[in-house]
Amino acid sequence: MPIDFIAIMPEIVLTVTALLVLAADLALRGDAKQLVNPLATFGTLIAIGFTVFLWGDERTTFGTMFVVDAYAVVFKLVFLVALLAILGISWRFFAEGRYFQGEYYFLLLTSFIGMVLMPSARDLLLLFVALETVSIPAFVMAGLRKRDLYSSEAALKFFIIGVLSVALMLFGMSMVYGFTGTTDLVGIAEAIRAGDADVPLLLGSVMLVIVGFGFKVSAVPFHFWAPDTYAGSPMPVAAMLAVASKAAGFAGLIAIAFVAFEPLAEVWAPVLGVIAILTMTLGNLIALQQRDLIRLLAYSSVAQAGYMLVPFGLARSGSDAIAVNDAAVQAVLFYLAAYAVMNIGAFGVAIAVNRRTGLRSIADYAGLSARSPLLALALTVFLLSLGGAPPTVGLWAKFAILEAITVDVTAFGVVLGSFVVINSVIAFFYYLKVVKTLWMDEAREGLPTLQPGFNLSAVVVVLMVGTVVLGVLPGLITDFTSITSVLATG
Amino acid sequence: MTGHDVVFVLVGLLTAAAAILTVTSKNLVHAALFLATTLAGIAGVFLVLAADFLALVQLVVYVGAVAVLFLFGLMLTRAPIGREALDNQNRGLAIGVSGGLFVVLSALIVDAVVGGSLGDTTVAEVTGPGIEDIGMAIFAEWVLPFEVLSMLLLAALIGAIVLARREPGDSGEEAMATRIDFGDAPPTEGTDSLSSGSLPELTSGERREGGP
Amino acid sequence: METPLWVPLLQVVVIFTYYLLLTALLIWAERRVVARMQSRLGPNRVGPFGILQTLVDGVKMFFKEDVTPGMVNKLIFNIAPIVGVVAGFLSIAVIPIGGEVTLFGETFTLVVSDLNVGVLWVLAMGSLHVYSTFLAGWASNSPYPLMGGIRSSAQMVSYEIAQGLAVASVFIYTGSLRVSDIVAAQSGSGFVEGVPGWYAIPLFPAFMVFVIGMVAEAGRPPFDLAEAEGELVGGFNTEYSGLRFGMFMLAEFMSVVTMSAIVVTLFLGGPAGPTFGAPDAVAGLIGVFWFTLKTALFIFLFILLRGALPRYRYDRLMNLGWKVLIPVALVWTLVTAGMVLLEQEQGGFGAGLRLTMASAAGVILLWLVATSRTPRDAGDRADHHEVAPAPGDPAAGGDDDVLATHGEDVPRTEEVSP
Repeated sequence: MPIDFIAIMPEIVLTVTALLVLAADLALRGDAKQLVNPLATFGTLIAIGFTVFLWGDERTTFGTMFVVDAYAVVFKLVFLVALLAILGISWRFFAEGRYFQGEYYFLLLTSFIGMVLMPSARDLLLLFVALETVSIPAFVMAGLRKRDLYSSEAALKFFIIGVLSVALMLFGMSMVYGFTGTTDLVGIAEAIRAGDADVPLLLGSVMLVIVGFGFKVSAVPFHFWAPDTYAGSPMPVAAMLAVASKAAGFAGLIAIAFVAFEPLAEVWAPVLGVIAILTMTLGNLIALQQRDLIRLLAYSSVAQAGYMLVPFGLARSGSDAIAVNDAAVQAVLFYLAAYAVMNIGAFGVAIAVNRRTGLRSIADYAGLSARSPLLALALTVFLLSLGGAPPTVGLWAKFAILEAITVDVTAFGVVLGSFVVINSVIAFFYYLKVVKTLWMDEAREGLPTLQPGFNLSAVVVVLMVGTVVLGVLPGLITDFTSITSVLATG
Repeated sequence: MTGHDVVFVLVGLLTAAAAILTVTSKNLVHAALFLATTLAGIAGVFLVLAADFLALVQLVVYVGAVAVLFLFGLMLTRAPIGREALDNQNRGLAIGVSGGLFVVLSALIVDAVVGGSLGDTTVAEVTGPGIEDIGMAIFAEWVLPFEVLSMLLLAALIGAIVLARREPGDSGEEAMATRIDFGDAPPTEGTDSLSSGSLPELTSGERREGGP
Repeated sequence: METPLWVPLLQVVVIFTYYLLLTALLIWAERRVVARMQSRLGPNRVGPFGILQTLVDGVKMFFKEDVTPGMVNKLIFNIAPIVGVVAGFLSIAVIPIGGEVTLFGETFTLVVSDLNVGVLWVLAMGSLHVYSTFLAGWASNSPYPLMGGIRSSAQMVSYEIAQGLAVASVFIYTGSLRVSDIVAAQSGSGFVEGVPGWYAIPLFPAFMVFVIGMVAEAGRPPFDLAEAEGELVGGFNTEYSGLRFGMFMLAEFMSVVTMSAIVVTLFLGGPAGPTFGAPDAVAGLIGVFWFTLKTALFIFLFILLRGALPRYRYDRLMNLGWKVLIPVALVWTLVTAGMVLLEQEQGGFGAGLRLTMASAAGVILLWLVATSRTPRDAGDRADHHEVAPAPGDPAAGGDDDVLATHGEDVPRTEEVSP
């Protein structure tokens, strides 16, 4: 069986980079250790190069297990660019903290190998392995600040919940395999179409798999770990968890839901729709109460996951539903890309402000406009974008979701849409509260001067510019997302 | 019911009983031993299904290595060994949730089997897969997940070392611990030393709880 | 033709008796040989040359008072020795001690069961043996046995990896996990006509790793850290007496016999040897002779090691296992796999080249073993506090092993300040 090495080149490059980072960490001593960061960045750039090279190709290798198409390439690019941004905001943080730099970058790259695999995986087994490759390094990364009990708590909660969710998901997957006799996603869909679909056991298994992914994307009944984990982890890791790891969960969920379980969409779509409503509402309402910026961002990212789940609630089965499902997938993809840009940016500013002090209540951000106008402006842009204000990309992201609803208007779709609108209003309230603190309140005395460093500033500025530019010209993303169709293979 | 079935049921019951005892026993070492019994029971299930290669691999890997490492973990981390109250107050809730899940899932399984929706369940002679078949499946058909798993295991190894290792030294100027200060609480001594850049470290006693 | 039930039963009884006899003889031989090395006489009262001493000792053990200390965990305390003996007995089940013998019109195969995954069976039973040691140490509810139990099971688990990898190269080379296939594959001539095709030659590094590993696995000197008298009183079995102590002793000596039998089977052709043109019916019995001879050779090696070498230090033991044996075995497994692949794809190297490469690898292994002492390890550093590394050096204190840090969990700064 020949292997199409070009198709898996981005993964290979990341793997080689990860191993090189590990070796470099062994060879370098003292301050030179921080050079593993540019090494990792260089590797990521090469991986991006290969991914771009794959653009427009349709490749399948390892049987039908691994598929590279437009959808996969767009997702991979989102992940790799996020990796680049996270590497940028990590450098100073880990170089100054001097903890386990080589190991951190190695774990980070390994985690991203899993993510990059995820949108290409068309097999339950590969999907599961990729998901674990995302999670297990993340468990460790969350606990890297070993002296900090919060960090240990973060790692432990994340680990236990993560393992529980995987156990549920594996159980469901094994049942699905037992029912359909295949782990190939397309094969599963065919087997379900061929048999009678409404066997309760099969539906239960589907729910278990979806619950497993629900944990990964921190949808509401399964979101308990998220705030504590984000708040306790080292902040670049929190950014990675809130953005990349969540996006990986969505990549897996899209593959499972829209390819394998597409014939059962009438069953899972309402469930995911209700979960979406709960997730946005609860996330936003709790975020209102937060006085710690990281926890606020954590709950806001829970709420954002809710927005991204809305298109899943629109899905339907059958050959006439392809337009609806495609629109739903494109909306999720566009929202994820936009969310990655603005959320990593927000975490980047948070790192710049409190890397030295560990202070991070919203009150500590008072008067940031006086201390560092650039950072204050950047944070303002990111928060407004998360809220969905013009002229930022966040507006278009929300608009994409509403647009997906209008493809084929149903009562449930209208309910979902109205919840999106109501929640956006709630969310604006707490985002604007932070913005007000930034610009109106007086800074406390005795705070150290901010030294974000070149990389961090560069990343923040690029992301800020990106947020605005994409807000003016959303076509830059939508042109790519609109031609992606995960269903092309199904 | 053939003798095969009887053995299968017996092994299954043994495994299930050991599994229940694993989570109910109050003594951690006993729990670990029951876990080992459960894993050995699963090896027995494989054996009954004529998958002797899997059975022995299960014994070597899980009983011989994983469960032993569990026991090491208990001994070396000074975890409370013996009869101590490790339970929190959620015992009832946990029983309720897991019991409910069990009832629902087993009802679904029984329904699927009795309802015949599993398709034509032909009774076949039990023959395990040959070792060559397993080898070809892993290293040819599923080589991509296999290679990714090796990366994953390497990451887990590195991660475990990172978490278990002692701190490598000074921690630079980065804050030692998360501080949550909402401004309305009376200032602690941490705020005073803020300008000097050195924040109080957690005591060494707390540090020990560095990793899970 | 259906084989009558008594045939396999007789096989089982004969083979287990054979091993028990070998074990009893080992105990006697060890006492005699070690006595000889130490200019003593050793047992010489019961039977010719004291050969029945073991029997008498066994009777003594059996009738001695069996004390169960008050605070022990009774169930596990009682189970532990049984686990050890059972695992020891079971692991020999797949080892053929001879060929097929035809007597009374029935054909006896001189092996209890020729599983198609026989090699794994041996490893699995070895891993069960760990439980015996570990549980004995834990259930005794006493510090020295606990330490001994942890030590020896850590040792066994570590060396099991190296051994497993060494065995892996054997079955990669053979292409089968069945013990009889491995024996059959070694029965012909090797690269050079007249020299037996035993795996000890083509797989020399694996053979060395296995031999070193088996000494550690059996917990025998110089790797008998579990019962380092000066440090741990008697190790994991301190609290045991009477019959149960006898079981531990039996298990330990049995593992010497088992390990020797396994190494003979895997690397030295098992019962293969010249049959001098004997008829097929009894040719199998000549195999028993060869097998016994080879096994006895390794048992003798075990005894000599015990008489000649001082005990290893624990950290050195772990270093040897993890930093020398496992890498060597791992590399060798890869090399073997590569060679087998080359053989299948292109017919492989010529015999001379292979021989050269094998010897070169053996030399490298020996060199590694010889130089393994040079890196300064955790134990040495603890003795030299004045050269404590500078604060902030990220490498400092990094490679202390987990056991060494246990109990000295002080902040780094305290260690540095004079």
